[in-house]
Amino acid sequence: MATAEGLDPVAAETRSRAPRLAVLPLLLLSEIVVFSLIGTNFFTMANAYEILRLSVEIGLLAVALTPVITTGGIDLSVGSLMGLSAVVFGKLWRDMGAPIPVAIAGTLGCGAVAGSINGVLITRGKIPPLIVTLGTYSLARGLAEGLTGGVDNFTHFPPSFLALGQGYLAWGAPTQAPLFAVVAILFWMLLHRMAIGRGLSAIGYSAEGARHAGLPVERWVALVYILSGLTASLAAVVYASRLGQAKADAGTGYELAAITAVVLGGTSIFGGRGSVHGTLLGLFAIVILQIGPRLADLPAELAGVATGVILLVAIGLDRRQPAGPRPQFPLSQSETLVVKNSQVAVICGAILAAAAINLAGNAYLARALVRERAQAPPGSTEGSPRAALREHPPLTIAMMPKSKGNAYFIACRKGAEEAAAELGVTLLWDGPTDPDPAKQNEVVDAWITRGVDVIAVAVENREGVSSVLRKARERGIKVITWDADADPDARDFFVNQATPEGIGRALMDNAARILGGKGSFAIITASLTAGNMIAWQKCIEARRSEKYPNITMASLRPCDDLQKKAFDETTTVLNSNPAVKLFMAICSPAVPGAAEAVKQSGRTDVKVIGIGLPNDSKRYVHEGITDCVVLWNTRDLGYLTVQAAVGLARGDLKPGAVRYSAGRLGELRIEGTDILLGQPYLFTKDNIDQFDF
Amino acid sequence: MNSPAAESPWGRLIAVIGARRRELSVLLAYVVLLIVLAVTAPRFFRADPIRALLVSNSSVLVAAVGMTMVILCRQIDISIGSLFSVCGVTAGLLARMGLPMPLVALGTLAAGAILGAINGLFVAGLRLPSIVATLATMVVLRESLRYAREGEFVRDLPSSFQWFGQGQALGQSAVVAIAAAVFVVFAWSLANVTLGRAVLAVGSDPEAARLAGIPPRGVVFGVFTLMGLLAGLAALLNAIRFADVDPGSGGGLELQVIAAVVVGGTAVTGGRGSLIGTLIGVALLGSIGPALVFLDAKPQWEKAVQGLIILAAVATDALDRQER
Repeated sequence: MATAEGLDPVAAETRSRAPRLAVLPLLLLSEIVVFSLIGTNFFTMANAYEILRLSVEIGLLAVALTPVITTGGIDLSVGSLMGLSAVVFGKLWRDMGAPIPVAIAGTLGCGAVAGSINGVLITRGKIPPLIVTLGTYSLARGLAEGLTGGVDNFTHFPPSFLALGQGYLAWGAPTQAPLFAVVAILFWMLLHRMAIGRGLSAIGYSAEGARHAGLPVERWVALVYILSGLTASLAAVVYASRLGQAKADAGTGYELAAITAVVLGGTSIFGGRGSVHGTLLGLFAIVILQIGPRLADLPAELAGVATGVILLVAIGLDRRQPAGPRPQFPLSQSETLVVKNSQVAVICGAILAAAAINLAGNAYLARALVRERAQAPPGSTEGSPRAALREHPPLTIAMMPKSKGNAYFIACRKGAEEAAAELGVTLLWDGPTDPDPAKQNEVVDAWITRGVDVIAVAVENREGVSSVLRKARERGIKVITWDADADPDARDFFVNQATPEGIGRALMDNAARILGGKGSFAIITASLTAGNMIAWQKCIEARRSEKYPNITMASLRPCDDLQKKAFDETTTVLNSNPAVKLFMAICSPAVPGAAEAVKQSGRTDVKVIGIGLPNDSKRYVHEGITDCVVLWNTRDLGYLTVQAAVGLARGDLKPGAVRYSAGRLGELRIEGTDILLGQPYLFTKDNIDQFDF
Repeated sequence: MNSPAAESPWGRLIAVIGARRRELSVLLAYVVLLIVLAVTAPRFFRADPIRALLVSNSSVLVAAVGMTMVILCRQIDISIGSLFSVCGVTAGLLARMGLPMPLVALGTLAAGAILGAINGLFVAGLRLPSIVATLATMVVLRESLRYAREGEFVRDLPSSFQWFGQGQALGQSAVVAIAAAVFVVFAWSLANVTLGRAVLAVGSDPEAARLAGIPPRGVVFGVFTLMGLLAGLAALLNAIRFADVDPGSGGGLELQVIAAVVVGGTAVTGGRGSLIGTLIGVALLGSIGPALVFLDAKPQWEKAVQGLIILAAVATDALDRQER
């Protein structure tokens, strides 16, 4: 967004309440320079548009939050409201049969209503915005989960709607860009070119003073919250069309990203000072920081650390400017700044320098490793034409787990690295670190931009990621799915470790064996919205109703993938329902959590089974609390995936093959396009000590 | 109801109710919940569920005590979830190095205090707004921990780690007793010790506090360090309940704790609030989850109910203020 502030007659006056933005463009520029140097294909138009596409949803929230924060308020509910709006949109369209435009209108109406609830509670109820929106933050997400049971996923939207989030305009610009531009310009006009914008600043400085000056404080404050709710539901619509699905978990964690962008952009968190163009600069600084490391093959966590550091630096430098009156902040009112300017500058400089050195060191290391690998074994002779064009002759296999911070996938990675070293290929390993269902798409997009030979994805949400995998195939990149599948036309092969049916059957059969054919059990799941959990629950239930009608499922409790929460939930179920004799823990932290709870309860008649890593369960299996855990050899799964990826890229593995020889695993069967690893493995007291993962 | 004669016992009671009505309204909500449970699910009041509730909320209470101090000072700390995770992993790693448990505990508390002091430096020293500074440290700590541990549990801890090497019964009592002691000491000090009064003074009016000879920045720095220390203690009390340490254990803790504090009646504008209220807030929010299980409610409505309770609790506050 261009800002023509210098030409404006009231510029001098405006400047006094607009934040100083000298640091931010500089920061943005240095980010672009650094990543252009160390990243592959960073400085391209395609990447610029990709950055824009990924910015839209958080950007919408951020520009709408700017006036809210300018009034000294905050809206924590926007991310949850996206989830609620997505669900409302899906309900209107699928269950009530409304055409898409009507559904969109209804969704926007719902967002405005939710925003006005915030507004009324804050202005009429005079409750601090932080508390009100903390409440609606829980409420909106809770309603979204309640309405859908967390499970319901709205998909199969018409292509004309999907084009809004996935299509391209002339010159390859993403479709949603103009929409975002219009909204951003509207908010910019509101805040910088209208009387109300000045009024919002005045309210932020001192609501009391603004009221005495005759401003309709209540009405204007309510208005910014309504606009914030409205924009959040618009973001939900864009999100639904980009991912091709609408689910209760849409927008998880977006509120913090949006607030970070606003604050980085120089808007004072205490109100009185704010600018939409600053927010946009802050937004791009954050998004580039997320995408850049992926193109430079650096770990994604660095992006998070760097975002935090930059936030501190930017705010620290901003503190040098003489700020306006600070109604809530006690520390700076009466004390004068002594030598703090130089101190802040020195500290910030040191942090920045350290970050730069760190980044450069990592980049150098990554490059050096790549070169080393390139020299050791002879690279492929018949790689794809893309590979030949680039500087590294060996194949590049990009492999994505469902989430990086998960011991299960760490074990897979070991196998993948083993195969990569054996075959002399470069392995990129990256994936989401937070529970945002849209993150996988962003990583795949970055890989398409970077250029890789094969992409192998453990799919977290099928409808969402399939569209972007199709795009990868159109660009000539081979696609494999592993661990969980995408739509069949979105990939070449699926490395199938065990079907949900196989898992469900193994778990339910063992449950029936332990229960002796009758009784009741409880399931501890990761979350009510996770796709693979839902699939497993369905298969467990199908097997139960088909073969074991005398067994009942008494309770289903989510544990948020936390051992502690799994422990608490298990304890509660043990206490509330003594008839439950068996716990099925179907996510890996839940197995030790549930087992520990049973152990501490002293109940010897209750057993635990589940899907988890042998290492987490060894102790409990030997103590007789955990009867067995079901899993496959995860290391082999990673190994096979890389083997298959290399075979596909080199042409050894062709569509229609029925067998594939995968290194140390020997000949494996292929059914259709599924490469079969084998049956799920049952770890019991007798064999669990033989495994170490 | 009665004439507000300040001298009569009734009058004094009304005065107490008036001063504590925020806490009382939350207590009332809690009592209603307990009555519903008593009628529909009397099993809730057996020894086992209550013990489980006490043990699992002990660490939340310890963190909430620290957060009450921070909010009383007109500040906020949203980094405590990440800090909690880091301290838990620190405890695990120290124990695995073979250090004796008292040293492990000391090291964990020190780690918490140092991280808290860093927040304090940013807020009191560099005068960054606390919500932004702790947002940044939250992200930095969380991502660094992910980078370092990749979500892996800290396993193979010595047997002296769980329950400090004591038995389960003794260990559980110790966890609850430590949390109770922390609560009592802080609740008493806040009202009766100079330093406690200083926190309230700075939160009410920093300028007046400064003129009264209290250094507001020193108090804020101290409060953040204390918050870190207490978050470290909370992490320790949580970690020793298990045989392994989960590096994600602090996920979402910051909002849980802030919600408990504000539901308990502490004003986010500072200076007003009490630890008794915080205790009731922790008890109320901590009981909702188990209560819904006992009431056989569908788990997908849990978050909605929690949101409604937060809103209801703060709405009573708003009505209350409009009457005055």
